[in-house]
Amino acid sequence: MNLLIPLMVIVPIICALFLNLLHKKDRTVKVIAIALALTLPLLPILANYGLHYFGGYAPLAQNSAISAGLPSLITGTALNTFHPAITYAFQDAQKLFIFILGLVALLAILVSLYETKRPSGVYGYMMFMGVAAMMAIILTDDIFNFYVFFEIAALATVGVVLVSQIKGNYETALKYMILGSIASPLLLLGIALLLGVTGNVNITDIMASLKSGVVDPQNPVLLMACGLIVFGWLYGSGLPPFHTIKSAIYSKALPHGAALLQAFSVFTFVALGIIIIRIFSYLPFSQMVILGVSLLAMILGITMALLQTDIKRMIGFLAVGELGYIGIGLGLGTVSGITAGLFQAVNEVVITAFLFIGFGAIYYQTGESDIRKLGGMMVKTPLVALLVLLAGFAMAGVPPLNAFQSKLMLIQSSIQAGVPELGVIMILLSIVTFMTFMKAFHAVFLRPKPADLEIKNEKIPKATILALLVFLVVCIVFGLFPQLATGFLQNLSVSLAGGMP
Amino acid sequence: MIIDTQLASLFTAGALIVIGIFAAVFLDNLIKKVIGLAFIGDGANLFLIAMGYKPGGIVYIYLPGMARDWFAQNAAYPLPFALVLTSIVIGASTMAVMLGIIMVLYKRRGSLKASKVLGE
Repeated sequence: MNLLIPLMVIVPIICALFLNLLHKKDRTVKVIAIALALTLPLLPILANYGLHYFGGYAPLAQNSAISAGLPSLITGTALNTFHPAITYAFQDAQKLFIFILGLVALLAILVSLYETKRPSGVYGYMMFMGVAAMMAIILTDDIFNFYVFFEIAALATVGVVLVSQIKGNYETALKYMILGSIASPLLLLGIALLLGVTGNVNITDIMASLKSGVVDPQNPVLLMACGLIVFGWLYGSGLPPFHTIKSAIYSKALPHGAALLQAFSVFTFVALGIIIIRIFSYLPFSQMVILGVSLLAMILGITMALLQTDIKRMIGFLAVGELGYIGIGLGLGTVSGITAGLFQAVNEVVITAFLFIGFGAIYYQTGESDIRKLGGMMVKTPLVALLVLLAGFAMAGVPPLNAFQSKLMLIQSSIQAGVPELGVIMILLSIVTFMTFMKAFHAVFLRPKPADLEIKNEKIPKATILALLVFLVVCIVFGLFPQLATGFLQNLSVSLAGGMP
Repeated sequence: MIIDTQLASLFTAGALIVIGIFAAVFLDNLIKKVIGLAFIGDGANLFLIAMGYKPGGIVYIYLPGMARDWFAQNAAYPLPFALVLTSIVIGASTMAVMLGIIMVLYKRRGSLKASKVLGE
C-alpha cells in the first residue's frame, strides 16, 4: 500500500493538468474537480506508514542484490546507508497534516466551484498544483526536492492571485515574485552549501553525517547555510519582514483561494521549521532564532491586524500572528512544546480557512471586503454570522474550541520550559486577537446596514454552509478530544526534541 | 598564473548574486530588475555547479572497460549537475511568469517604472 504515498502528490498534479486542458468545459471541470478533491483527504487515511523510494533505489544496506557487486570503497563506508533516491516519509504526523490539508483543499475547491458562475479550469489548476506541492513539501525527506516544490507552491500562489481579478492583484503578485526571486535563490544557495559540506541533500543523511562526525558540525559554512535557509523560511511562511506582502497576497486572492494559500504558508512554516530543527538544532542559538522570529511575527501580525479595514488583509495578519504561536512551540524545543506548536499549526489551518470562507460568504453576497462599507449582515445571514462568530472564538482560544487546547498547551509548555513571560505574551495577544475579530464582526454583522451597500447575491451556496459546518465540527472535535490530534504528533515531537523532556 | 577553477566559479557566483541583489533593489526599471533577479538565480546555479567540480575528474558516465574502483575515485560528483538542471527549469518558469505580469502591467499603465507601476 506504500504506492499510495506518491499518489498523494501525483493525483492532484494529474487533476491540475486535466482541469487546465478542460478549461471552459464547465460541467466536466466541476465533476473532475470534486471527484479528485474527494480523494485528497482519503488517501492519507488509506495509506500505510512507511518510506517511498522513487525509482525503487533503497539504501545499499537494504539492497544486497546491488551492493554485492560494488567495491568496498562504497559498501564499506557511510555511503552504504545513504539514500540514493528521493525519499518520501509518511508517518503519523504526516498523516494528520496531509489529512487536514486535503480537507481544507476539498472544502476550498468545493466552495470555489459553487461561488463562481463559471468554474475556471485554470483556477482549479492553480489550486490543485499548490496542493500537490504542499503534499510533497510535507512528505519529502530531500531538501532539494523540498526547494523544487517550494517554488511550485510560490508559482501556484501567484496563479491563484492572478486569476482572482481583484483590483491590484497583478501588482501584488509581481511584488511577491520579486521578493521570492531574491529569497528562493538564497535558499538554494543554503542548500548548495549544505551539499558542498555534507555531499548530500537527503535530510536524514545530512543529520547522520553531522552526528557521526563525518562532517565537522562546527564548520562555519554550515552557519551560513543555516542563515540562508532561515531566510527562505521567513519568505515562504510570511514571517517578518515578509508579513506585509504575505497578507497582501491573501487580500488579493478570492476568499476560498486565500483559505488554501494560508494553509500553504502554515505547512511551509512547519515543514521548513522541522528541517531547520533536524539539521541545525545542535547550534546553540537555533532555538533563540526560532523563538525571536516567532515572537516578532506574533506581535507584528496581531497588532497590524488591529489597524486593517480590509477583512481579508486583517485575517491575513492574524494568520501571520498565529504562525508565531506555532514557532514558539517549536522554539521551546521540549516534547510538550513541539507537540503544542504542531497542534496549533493544525488548528490554525482549520480556523483561518473557516474565517476566510465565512467572511468570504459576505464577500460573495456584497462583493465588498472593506469593513467601513459593510454592515447589517446579521439580518441577512444569521447562520453565517453565528458560524463566523464561532470561528473568531476558536481563533482567540475560547473553550471548548480547538485553539483553546493548543494555546493552553503552549502556555503550560512555556512555564515548564522556564519562560513564563512567553505565556503572558501569548495570553495578551490572544486578547488582542479577540478584540480585532470583534471589531470586524461588529462592523460587518451588528451595526446598521449602510444605505449604499448593494446585495449582489441573495442566497449563499449550500456548499459554503457545508464547508463552514465541517470546519466547526473539526474545531469542536479537536477542542473536546485534543488527544485525537496530539496522538499523531507525539512521535515526531519526541524525535525533534532530541532527548529533552 | 593559473586560477583555481572552482574558486573562480565561486567568486563569479558571489559577484553575480551581489550585482543581482543591487539591481533588484535599487534599479527602477522592471525589466532591469528582472535581469538582476536572473543574475541572482544564475549565481546560485553556478555555485551549485562549482560544488560538483572535481580537479582532474572525469565525466560520470561508466563506460565498458573501466575499472570500477578507478571510476569511483575519478568520476566527478553528479548530483549537483542533476540538481542545477531542475533549478534552471524552475528559474525559467518563474522568469516567464514575471515577464508575463510585467507585459500586462505595461499595457495597463504604459510604464516600466517600478515606482509608478508598483507604487513604491
